[in-house]
Amino acid sequence: MTQPENTTDSKSSEKEAIGVFVCHCGTNIGGVVSCEKVAEAASKIPGVVVSKDLKYACSDLGQEEIRKAIKEKGVNRVVVASCSPRLHEFTFKKCVEGAGLNPYFMHMVNLREQCSWVHMKQPEMATAKAIDLVRMGVERSRLLTPLSPREVTVEKSALVIGGGIAGIQAALDIGEKGFKTYLVEKEPSIGGHMAQLDKTFPTGDCAICILAPKMVEVARNPNVEIMSYSEVVDIEGYVGSFKVKIRKKPRYVVEDKCVGCGVCAEKCPVKVPNDFDCGFGTRRAIYVPFPQAVPLKYTIDKENCLYFKTGKCQLCVKVCVNEAIDFKQEEQIVDLTVGTIIVATGFDAYVPLRRGVYKYWEYKNVITALELERLINAAGPTGGHLVRPSDGVEPKRIAFIQCVGSRNIKLQHKYCSRVCCMYSIKNSQIIMEHSPDAEIAIYYNDIRAFGKGFEELYHRVREDYGVEFIRGRPAKLTKDPLTENITIRAEETLLGKITEREYDMVVLAVGLTPAAGTGPIQKMLSLPVSDDGFLQESHPKLRPVETAIEGVFICGCAQSPKDIPDSVAQAKAAASGATTLMIKGKHIVEPLCATVTPELCLGCGLCTDVCPYKAIDLLDKDGQTKAVVTEALCHGCGTCAAACPQHAIAQLQFTDQQIASEISAALGMNNGAKDSAGGA
Amino acid sequence: MGEVEKVFISGLSEKLTEDKIITEKDLDSEFATEIIRYGGKDVMTCLQCGNCTGVCPISLKIEYKTRTTIKYCQFGMKQHTLNTRWVCATCYRCYEHCPADLNPAEVMIALRHIAIREGIIPPFVKAAAANLMQFGLTVKPDEAMIKERVKMGLPDLPQTKPGWSQVRKEVVAIIEATKYDRLLGITSKEGVE
Repeated sequence: MTQPENTTDSKSSEKEAIGVFVCHCGTNIGGVVSCEKVAEAASKIPGVVVSKDLKYACSDLGQEEIRKAIKEKGVNRVVVASCSPRLHEFTFKKCVEGAGLNPYFMHMVNLREQCSWVHMKQPEMATAKAIDLVRMGVERSRLLTPLSPREVTVEKSALVIGGGIAGIQAALDIGEKGFKTYLVEKEPSIGGHMAQLDKTFPTGDCAICILAPKMVEVARNPNVEIMSYSEVVDIEGYVGSFKVKIRKKPRYVVEDKCVGCGVCAEKCPVKVPNDFDCGFGTRRAIYVPFPQAVPLKYTIDKENCLYFKTGKCQLCVKVCVNEAIDFKQEEQIVDLTVGTIIVATGFDAYVPLRRGVYKYWEYKNVITALELERLINAAGPTGGHLVRPSDGVEPKRIAFIQCVGSRNIKLQHKYCSRVCCMYSIKNSQIIMEHSPDAEIAIYYNDIRAFGKGFEELYHRVREDYGVEFIRGRPAKLTKDPLTENITIRAEETLLGKITEREYDMVVLAVGLTPAAGTGPIQKMLSLPVSDDGFLQESHPKLRPVETAIEGVFICGCAQSPKDIPDSVAQAKAAASGATTLMIKGKHIVEPLCATVTPELCLGCGLCTDVCPYKAIDLLDKDGQTKAVVTEALCHGCGTCAAACPQHAIAQLQFTDQQIASEISAALGMNNGAKDSAGGA
Repeated sequence: MGEVEKVFISGLSEKLTEDKIITEKDLDSEFATEIIRYGGKDVMTCLQCGNCTGVCPISLKIEYKTRTTIKYCQFGMKQHTLNTRWVCATCYRCYEHCPADLNPAEVMIALRHIAIREGIIPPFVKAAAANLMQFGLTVKPDEAMIKERVKMGLPDLPQTKPGWSQVRKEVVAIIEATKYDRLLGITSKEGVE
């Protein structure tokens, strides 16, 4: 339980024996602040029994000093003046706990980030500030209360949101380890964007040929349940037991009866542009998006089906020998409880502006790279034969324009999309293989060929195919009204000359943007978002798939733009993180949560409005409405405590009294233990 | 680059030129800082994509094009940049198209400030500034035009708005307070009524 343990109150009101340990952090702190002086000043504060400066407090030697002080000198409050708690709070808590003291009797004072690093050029004033900071920490340490962490049980099942390559890999890994996994995909088939691509860089493997076996594998795995054509509509709860509501959209085809023979689609009289082919090809109103779809179950597109429009037709019903068509199907809401969640909602390809310089909406022969993928794909609308949209003729002179929708501050897309350089190089190779007499120019700003085998491919397209690289961002595109050819005006920056060259077709290497579908999921889970709009990981280097919400992991392009190998690697990492929790079966929740004093609470509900994690509810208790905190959901941000007009909410370890004691110490208002205790 | 000699190899000739290696002493390491001080705050941020040169309406007429000028500024090659910046019309097309949201036109304006302070003042700049102080107009109608205006019953100088002469006095006050008149070597005395 996270309540302060009242039984130890008598103990904590005993005379505090405070130990102060000032860390040099090599020269990080010691190079600016005189740690000896700080330790000496601290030793004069009433109640401080040990005050030492240590070269590296986090080292084995430093920790031994702290343990010794607790065991030999009877220290019962520890103040470590060193780096940020973000870095070493856990280390010192463990150290103090090892010596038999409640870990929450340890307080860290940040002398590095908040003193020595910012005051590098004023060593004397920095030392004075360090002494003040330590004094504040000592006063606060007197008011610390012992807390004990809480354990929650972790349900042994996982939810994977998004059925692209990242989601498939994550579901496969968790399923393989023997945990029930639900893979939710909003489209009729799993596969995501990778299913649309032609070949993959740098090796030239056909994308669907390497993806389809994985899709089949995940469908065959007895632990994985694929919920295609479904959307997550609500998530409540916390690590270990998330309550999830999933809406299964009606397919109007009974999944158990459909065998995917495709006779219905042959007979269906309605033809509509195929979204999967970026609108180039056509599909019927009853369809599978692509032949390798998993699950191979047909779906009726209600908007275009003649039966739904006019009440007539029903040709599909007549030809289906399995009687799988059911026009009366309705959407279903499925309730699940899962222990962990993996968000793999992927990306949307950037759509060029309607009034943009590159005239994507105006000129037919300006296409995006995703459209090109479909046009050169053997399973695409043209059977892999590249033609240009205006007249269906094979283009011979093709230009790629890089960084469209990436590295553009005006569009709020400051980031590099990471894949565009390589997919343009890869696509130019594929085009040159098909028609060796083609001429290809790539207008680039910087070529980023950073991965394994990438630079070699960049070299190969120049050496083997003579693909031309023009360093410059095109300024203007004009169309010949007769031939519909496009002239690009650009500065060739390496020559310093302005060039104008004519092409049959122009391909915009569009970047990756956060998927529209990520937004609702992000709101349901209160996941933090980074500057670029993608989901924010816990730590950019050391916790790359974890999020601020425990039990929720992210992978693939939902986290940032990345290529297929990186997505797969990250999916495996996320799966590993989720299974670790499920294998343990229990999870320790930090006790630093908000607590409500029911006697003071008026039930106004302000706290429920401000809580970013939906951790506070208003409940009726004996005819009175009171705020109640769900501890496992609370992140200890303190927003509610600050908002409460009644001071009825306290943020454990950051109570008003504790903070007031620090302020008083900073202002020199209290002289030692007596006053601060009285103030509290 | 100066031509040094002609080499003849079995009837072919090729001009050899002598180019100089640029060393530290040719560069002004403080140049970019100076430009930033005069308002060209984006000079060091430029990634040299060349979009600005492509959209610049005057770029085909000038040797040091927009992007090139920025590069020279980044490098600290002051002597290459100070003479040519007056043709920039500050139409801000470069600013409009820059993917990094930088403003090259501000750099051009900063270069003019620096040129003036270095004493590199083209005659037309001096004339325009003198006209502004004397008549409140940078482009003053010439003799023939004034004759034409009088014939048509117009005042000899166009008065752009009511209170115009008061505004002119205020502009003169600003120019004098900032000592720009002394920098340019001009005076308002002749024009004051």
